[in-house]
Parts: sequence; structure tokens; C-alpha cells
Amino acid sequence: MVTVAPAPRHSATAGRDAEHHRWALLTYALLLVGAFVAFGVDSTLGVIAGALNVIFLAYFFRHLAFAISAARWAEEDLVAADVGVEAYAPPLAVLVACKNEELVVDGMISALLGLDYPRDALSLVVVDDGSTDGTAARLDAWAAAEPRLRVLHRAPDAGGGKSGALNDALAQIQAEIVVVFDADHEPERNVLRRLVRHFRDPNVGAVMGRCVVRNGVESSLASTIFIDYLSGYLVNEYGRQALFELPAYGGANCAVRTDVLRALNGWNPHTVTEDTDLTLRVLLGGRRVRYDPAAVDFEEAVLSSGRFWRQRYRWARGHQKCLRDYWRTALRSPHLRLAEKIETLMFLWVYHIPVLCGLGLLITALRGFGIGGPAAIDILPLSTLLFAGPFAELSVGLLLGRVERRAAWLLVGFIPAFGLSILTATAAYFDGMWGRRYSWAKTARSGATSVRPAAPAPVGPAPVSFARRALPAGVPKGESR
Amino acid sequence: MTANPIAPSPAPSVSDLLRRALRRDRFRVHGAARRRRAVVLEIVGATLWCLVGFAVLITGARHLEVWLSSRALDLLGETRISGALGDAFLIFGPGQDPLIAELTASCSALTSLLALSALAVFVLRRRPHVLGGFLVAAAWILLANQLRLILSLLAGLHLDVNALVLFHDWVGALLNFGYTLIGLLIMIALTMHSSERAEQDRSGRHTAGRPDAWARPGLGYRVENVERGRGPRIRLAAFVHRRLLPRAVSRRLAARRERGRIDYRLGHLDPAERAAAVRELAGKGLGVHTATLVAVATHETDATVLDALADAVAARQWEPVSDRQIVALRLWSRAWLMRAPAAPPAAPAGESDHEEPFVRLVAVTGAGGPAGVAVIRALRAAGHRVLALDADPDAVGLRLGDAAAVLPRADADGYGETLLDVVAAHRPDALICTVAEEYAALGAVTARLAALGCRTWLPDSDAVRTCLDKAAFAAALHAAGVPHPATATTVEQAAALPGPWIVKPAHGRGSRDVHLAWTGDELARAFVAVPGPIAQPRLAGREFTADVLVARDGTLLTCVPRWRDETKAGISVRGATFDSSAVTRVVADAVRAVGLTGPANVQGFVADPAPLVADPDAEVAVTVVELNPRFSGGLPLSLAAGADLVGTYLIGIVEPDAPLPRLSFQPGVRMARHFAEVYYGADGAPVTDPLAA
Repeated sequence: MVTVAPAPRHSATAGRDAEHHRWALLTYALLLVGAFVAFGVDSTLGVIAGALNVIFLAYFFRHLAFAISAARWAEEDLVAADVGVEAYAPPLAVLVACKNEELVVDGMISALLGLDYPRDALSLVVVDDGSTDGTAARLDAWAAAEPRLRVLHRAPDAGGGKSGALNDALAQIQAEIVVVFDADHEPERNVLRRLVRHFRDPNVGAVMGRCVVRNGVESSLASTIFIDYLSGYLVNEYGRQALFELPAYGGANCAVRTDVLRALNGWNPHTVTEDTDLTLRVLLGGRRVRYDPAAVDFEEAVLSSGRFWRQRYRWARGHQKCLRDYWRTALRSPHLRLAEKIETLMFLWVYHIPVLCGLGLLITALRGFGIGGPAAIDILPLSTLLFAGPFAELSVGLLLGRVERRAAWLLVGFIPAFGLSILTATAAYFDGMWGRRYSWAKTARSGATSVRPAAPAPVGPAPVSFARRALPAGVPKGESR
Repeated sequence: MTANPIAPSPAPSVSDLLRRALRRDRFRVHGAARRRRAVVLEIVGATLWCLVGFAVLITGARHLEVWLSSRALDLLGETRISGALGDAFLIFGPGQDPLIAELTASCSALTSLLALSALAVFVLRRRPHVLGGFLVAAAWILLANQLRLILSLLAGLHLDVNALVLFHDWVGALLNFGYTLIGLLIMIALTMHSSERAEQDRSGRHTAGRPDAWARPGLGYRVENVERGRGPRIRLAAFVHRRLLPRAVSRRLAARRERGRIDYRLGHLDPAERAAAVRELAGKGLGVHTATLVAVATHETDATVLDALADAVAARQWEPVSDRQIVALRLWSRAWLMRAPAAPPAAPAGESDHEEPFVRLVAVTGAGGPAGVAVIRALRAAGHRVLALDADPDAVGLRLGDAAAVLPRADADGYGETLLDVVAAHRPDALICTVAEEYAALGAVTARLAALGCRTWLPDSDAVRTCLDKAAFAAALHAAGVPHPATATTVEQAAALPGPWIVKPAHGRGSRDVHLAWTGDELARAFVAVPGPIAQPRLAGREFTADVLVARDGTLLTCVPRWRDETKAGISVRGATFDSSAVTRVVADAVRAVGLTGPANVQGFVADPAPLVADPDAEVAVTVVELNPRFSGGLPLSLAAGADLVGTYLIGIVEPDAPLPRLSFQPGVRMARHFAEVYYGADGAPVTDPLAA
């Protein structure tokens, strides 16, 4: 099927004058006040609480369904035999965009050079996106020693963020498949073969691999994120594929068919979550996204709550914008069945749910002060729904990951993390609706757990000789040199 | 009697049948919908479990909890609270006014217990440890809810009814949330793997020490020196098995556990040991170590081990199929043996013990050339079997191998397909190419060769192109600063260089079309006579060839320089190995400059070799002339000097991740070559050598 690119709404958040939805906010406020006047505050809050409970119940069942599907099938999937991975190796280009990544770039390049793929079919392109640290010099040193590696340098003011850098690289390559990693990623050796195997199906437009946190040892926040990723990839993403065949393309450790990407005009530079944006455009263009839990790469988690806030704020801001950009198109799409449309909308709504959780907590608190009536539909206590679904996913993630028993207690750390996600998603929601300007916020790296072989010197010291020579007196016997 | 002829109804066409089948098919559930249905059934089950459980148990639960609380308060000496009402408490508060506090459904621990049990049954039931986890968690929740009830009652007793309600509804709700969460964590923790059986620690570092090929993907980041968790001091399971259970029951349970557990220890063994282990495990019965055998079929990449497994399964087809995984093993073995050729007949009984068990079958291309012959002889001397390949049906190497096949020339159509056919028929484990011009054609079929179990290790195609194009090679060496004679591609450029000149084709090999020109006229004539010519000043000094082997990561594994004291048709027939750090350094620089891996031979000149006799570290002037990305014709001398280039390269092919050793050599080993003959009839059958001893 020929991919028809749905026109992305590039009215943007990133960089240019941001779009706003202040009228919608005003309308919501007027509706609320009108309901207060017409039905009374208590009844209105009771109805809202009931509606929230219904929404939470729907998401609870969604989480539970993913947990059940992963518990049933994921473990066998992880150890299932690879079929024909060596016999299918279309031309492939690996693209990495780097901006001020000197702490991690050596480990990443080293991992890229160790990837298992036919050399003739593989090209490695790294884009230095106007770095102001030592990234460019390190990349040049690697390129000088490794003819397989191409380095592109962009001007600091080239714009477009990661999408812009990747689009520049896309223009330079001739390959059937493009695989993208981030600079802090260290892919496993076989990741390309495992990602690429799914493109045997011509209907597949993109494939997502599994990202694993490698620096959980650095902080308790990183350990929490490590478990979050286990759950996110081994349970949530797995469940979306198993039950709806709708996994998300995640921005790194993922592959896209080049002609599909070009037909879609590349990555969208006007969003800060180009991955979700591309997922939607691939799906709405009639192609499918696949997920391979056995195609693994390791990445860094953020270490401080400040960086965590900035990263999750960006994710929330971009994801919420994707909902506003694509929900109408998704509903009308001829390529999605009814169940798939519902799941797509629920997926797009994911970063709005924490906002509703905040609203639910506010209503609960008001009830503590005697404001607001009982929920119209009080199926389950709100607190249970807030936590039960995600905790079911997290538990299954820990079991599938075969993590040691002590890690269970780290789940306590998710309670403040949920609280933080309510705040970040709420801030992102109001900023996005208000139209506050926002541009790509690069995630800072630690580099402490990166395998960091220095770039090889262009000419290294040669061995003296391999000849067996008589040893001088006093030297212990062994290999001569 | 007459019979009315009945017209036979026309047979339905294929399209009709297909249409009917599809019509029926519309009502079936497919793919994701089928999986959704399975999961929805589980969710419905979980919901019913909770709702029915609640309806059936709530009355009893309320009575039980009231009874437990009142008994506990009795034991604490508090007599002003009574559970005599059954599902409510009678409290004689501060003013001695009796107060009835009903234990409602929301006060009971039943909802939390039902939620946890539903999670255990419908989500986590595949891991039996969840039962113990749930029982401990249930005990905790029951206890914690008793505490909550007692504290609420005491608040009502000592303060007033509002305090009871406030404590129960708000503080109690938080307590309820807290202890339910802790109960969940207890259940999860006890369901999870102990640190000694887990594969990663809580920060995501791999702790199981699984070899890469056998590890579950992504379970833990590999760092060195990660401490494995220590086992518990008291091993409950071991205690139960050793002290409590009858021996027969314990053995039965152990066998059951073994059937479902992958024995990762196999992955650490070398291929020979793995194959032996597979035979041994299969010999005990496919139903005993089934999981391990399935794991071998899943993860193993060595053809000899897979052959061993398939043969073992094929030999045990009488065994009852007591496990679904045995069916999987039988299907896998069927497919494996269908694509593999029949194994060579087994050695007679009594000889098998002396047979080299893991001989490789190695395909060698270019079997007619001196390099091919040298490689074939080296492989056979090491005990391997050789499939000799060449484009010339009279190539001598075809008579030196264990099997032979004739291929088209590498630049002819059908080379790749013919090679694939030959490989599919003979199933060699590895292919060694001794003709650099074949690399490009081989590169196009490596993946398909690998799919047939035939591994290759080809150098980078750019590096090969650079080596085969003498002008490009000269440019690469000049760019890297490696000493190399000035190279001209036109007569005018050549005339500017000091003569005499060597004129040779830019893409030639084996000293073909090489001309020596002393004068400008001879130079001009040579440029006309030689196809695609280049010219270089003739170098003075002593000519050498260095046999080298470069690891996949670019590490130079060996460099064996040898003098070319006498050559015939470009092949060294007399020579001697020598030691020179200057030659080794320049050769290493040349190899690095083109980015070559695998075997190669570097030819060059030492301008003033005399100092090397006394001092191998003497700084002599070395110039590199050519680099051939293949084994050399003079390879036997390097092998005789002790550098096993062929065996090491073979290991590098079949075990790409194996670390390869540095190869040292003995300097001063001399070689004098002679002719050797093989005889064969018109039909290719061997004819006895009358001179053979």
C-alpha cells in the first residue's frame, strides 16, 4: 500500500509562535461556573467525581489487560528463537543526533562499531548538532580512525532540534531502513538484526526496540526509572502490541522504513516528541508499527528530580500536543478499526490522565472540608484506581525482568513519582493550552556508566615484533613479547 | 426397474470453496482480537472473583473481624467494647452511653484481600511462589486492619463518636491504603526471584553471569565485578526436600522442576563439550531435560552442537511424547535434518573413540593457487576436512581436499547461486577465500551462506578495493604516511620519476604483465603493452613478504616477515623468516591505513638489510609495495615457523566473538620448495603415484 502522509499540523510549539487554546480553557471555566449555578456546587463536583471514576476505571482495566497479556506471553517472547535474522539484511543507516554529548559519545560510537550487521549494508551517520563541548572533536577522532563512520556537523543555529539533525542526516543517506539511537544509548550487538527482521512484512513502517536503563546504580531516582522502564517496555508497550498491535515508536532504538519516512516529510521539527508524532503519522498513513522486546539497548536515566521534571514535562507537553493534533484524524482514519481507534485515543490521552488525577485529588480534598457531594458513580475508591493499575504493571515488569526480590520495595518510590507526574502533566497542560513558548530541552547526561573507550588515535603504536627472541637474563620465561 | 438419471451437481470451484471458507471465517476471531478475548475473559474472571467473593464472604468476614477485635481487646483488658452484636461493636463511651459501631463492608479487610488474591490468581499465577506471597500478605493485611479497627474503637471509647468516625474514615483510609500497598509489596517481593536466582539486581546490573548468546535479552547491564547476591542462610526448600519430604516425592518434584528450567550452564562450555552434554542429556530421555534441549535448539549457533541434538532426537523417536515441548523438539529436528545433507557414515564401532570428534568441514576457494593449496594442506594437517573449490576443473587443489566442486569464475553470472548450491549440498562450517577478486561476489551471499550454517569472515569491501587498485593503494599509503614508492598513472608522470621503472597493471596479480623499463622509450612501450598501467621507480634492496593476520577489531595478531630469496612466477620458492621491528611497524601501519582485517600478505623492500643480522631492532629503511588481502603463496614457510595463521583464522570465522591469540614465530627458518604431483584419470578418479613411498 502506498503511504499517504497525513498532513501534520505544524503549527507549533517548538521555537516559533506557539499555538494556544485559551478559548477552550475559557469555555471549560464558563461551563463549570454554569454548572455550579444551575445544579449547585455539590452536585456538580459529585458528577465530575463520578465521571473521573469511570475514566480511571477504564484506564485501570487497560493497565490490567496489559499486565495480564505480558504475564501470559512476554517471557516466552523474550527467549523465542530468532528466525532468519542472518538471511535478511537490507541496506541500513544508523543515525544519531548529538548535542553536547562528550560524556557519553565514546561509549555510543564504540557500541555502534560493534553492531552485528553486514558491513556492506550498514552505514553509520552521527550528526554533531552544533555542540559547544568536546563532542565534535571526539566524533572527528573516531571518524578519522574508522572509515565506516560519517560525521555531519551542523551549525549551532541550524534549528529543528533532534528532528532537524535527523532530517539533515536523512537527506544524506541511501538505505532502505533507518535506525535511530540517542547519544547516551549503547545498543546490544544484535539489535539491528532483530529490529530489521520485522520489515519482511511490507506493511510495517516502523519498529521499536526495548530501552533498558543502565545507570540505576547511580541514584535512587535512576533505580526507580529503571523499574519504570521495565514496566513501560515489558508490560505496557508489550501489551499494546499484543492486544491492539499498536505499539509506539519511541524515538531511539527504533527503525523506520526510509521511503515511508520520506513520504511523511521526515521527522516533525515542530514538536518536542517527534516519536509520538511519527507513530501517529505512520499509523494514519496506513502502515504499522511493531515492537521487538528482544531488540535491546541500554540508556541513561536522569539522576536529579530537576532533570526528571524537565524530561517528563517535555514528554507531557509533546504528547498532549499530539492529542490535539491528531485525535480528529485518528477518529476518521480508514486504517484503524474501532477497537484500535479507542486504544489510540486512550494512548493519546495518557498524559492527560495525571491532570485528571490532580483534579480528583482536589475534589477529594474539598470533600474533606465538606465541599462537594458523593460521587455519582462510586464504583471503586479513587485511591485504588490511581495506583492499582500502574502497580499491577510494575509488579509484572519486575517479575519479567527477573529482578532480585529487594527491588519490590523500590515501588514505594513511585508514589512521589506519581505525585510529580501529576504536577508536570498539569503544568504542561496549562502551558500548552495557554500557548506558552517552549523549545526542545535536551536531557543532560551523567556518563558515569558509559563504556568509554577513548577514540582510537589515528596511528597507534605498532607492535615491535612477533618473533621469538632469546630473553635477557633475569626476565621470567613466557611469551617473548 | 427404471431409474431417473440424477444430474450430478457440479463440483464447487476453488473460488467457491474459498469464498465459503472466508464467509465462515468472518465469524472467527483473529490475531489481536483473539488475544484480547483471552485477556478480557481473565478480567471478567477477576471481576467476578471479587464481586462474588465479596457477596459470599462479606457477612462472615465482618463477623470474624468483629470477633477478632473484641477478643484482642479482651486480651488487652478492655471490657468496655463488646462484639456480642456479631457484625457491630457495642461501645460504652465516656458518658457510659452505649454506642453501636457497625463494621461496614468498607471497614473490612475483605476488599483488599480479594483484590490481592485476584492479582495473584489472574495475573501472577504462573509463578507458584505467589501463593506463599499472598498468604503472608493476607496475614499482614488482616493484622493491620485489626489494628486500624482497634485504634478507631479506642478513639470512640476515649473521645467520642466523632473521633471514631474521623479516625476511621480519614486516618483509617490512609492506613488502609498504606497497609494494602505494603501487603501488595510483600506479595510481589515473595513472588519475585531471590537474589541468587535473579538475573539482575535492583539497579539493573546483570548478575546471573549468563553468556551473551544464552542470556535473556536485556536482563541487566553488564558491568564487571558485580557481586552476586548471597543465598539465604536457611534454605527452606532444601530443608523441606531433605528433612520432610519422602525421598521419592522429592525426586519426583525435582524432575518436574528440571523439565521446566533452562540449564544455562551449557552455554559456558565449548562446542565440543556442549555437543557431548547434549548427547548425554538427550540420552537420559527427551522428557527429562526438555527445557535445556529446547534452549539448545533456540540459542545454539554452532552447527556441530545442533547436529548432535538433531541426531539425538532422531534416535529417540520411540519415546512417548509426554510433553508439548518434545513435540517442539521433534519439529525442530525434522526441519534441521531436512535442510542438512545426510551425515557421513559413522565410523565402525571401536574406532569412534579415536576419531577427532569436532572436525570442521571447511570450504576453500581458489584451490588451484599456491595459497589455496597451502591452506588446504594446513587444514588437513590440523585434522579438518576440506571442500576444495576452484573455477578450473584441473586445479590441483581439487584433488587435495576431501570433497571438491567447480565454480564459475567470480566475475561470471551464476557464481553466487552455484556456490550456494554447493554449500547447501555439502554444508561446510566455514569458507576461506584465497582469491581476493572473489570477495565482492562472496560479500553478496554471506547472509545466505550463514543461513546455511557456513560462516565467513570477509574484509571490508572498501579495504579490498583499495588493495586491488594499486593507484588507490598508493594514495591511501601516502595519506597515512607509510613508505611507498612514488606512483605514476601516465607516461609523463612516470618520466618525471627516477628510473628504471617497474610498469604493471593497476589491477594485476601474480607478477602478470609486469615490465621493467630502463629507458624512456621502454617506459612508453610498457605503458602501451600493459593494461591499465601504473609505474613506480624500481626499488633497491632485499625483497620481503610479511604474512599477517588482523583481528576483527583491527589488532595485528601476527606479522611474519620472510625474505623472498628466489621467486618463480611471483611465488617465493626459496626464502627465510627474519625478525625486524622496523618491518613489523611499517607493515602494521600499511594494514591499518587500508583498514583491513583477516589474513593478508604485505610485500616490500628493505633498502639496507645488513644491520638486521646483528640487531633486529635496527632502524632500517622499509618500503611497502603491495598488500594482498588474502593468504600468500609462501604461507607454508610462515606456518613452518610456528605461526598458525590458518587455524587462528578458522577460529575467528566460526567463533566471531572469540578472542584470538597473538601468534609468534621462529626467525631464521628457511624454505626450499620443490614440485609435487597428483595424478588422476579422465573421469577424475585418482591414479596411483608410482613414486609414492
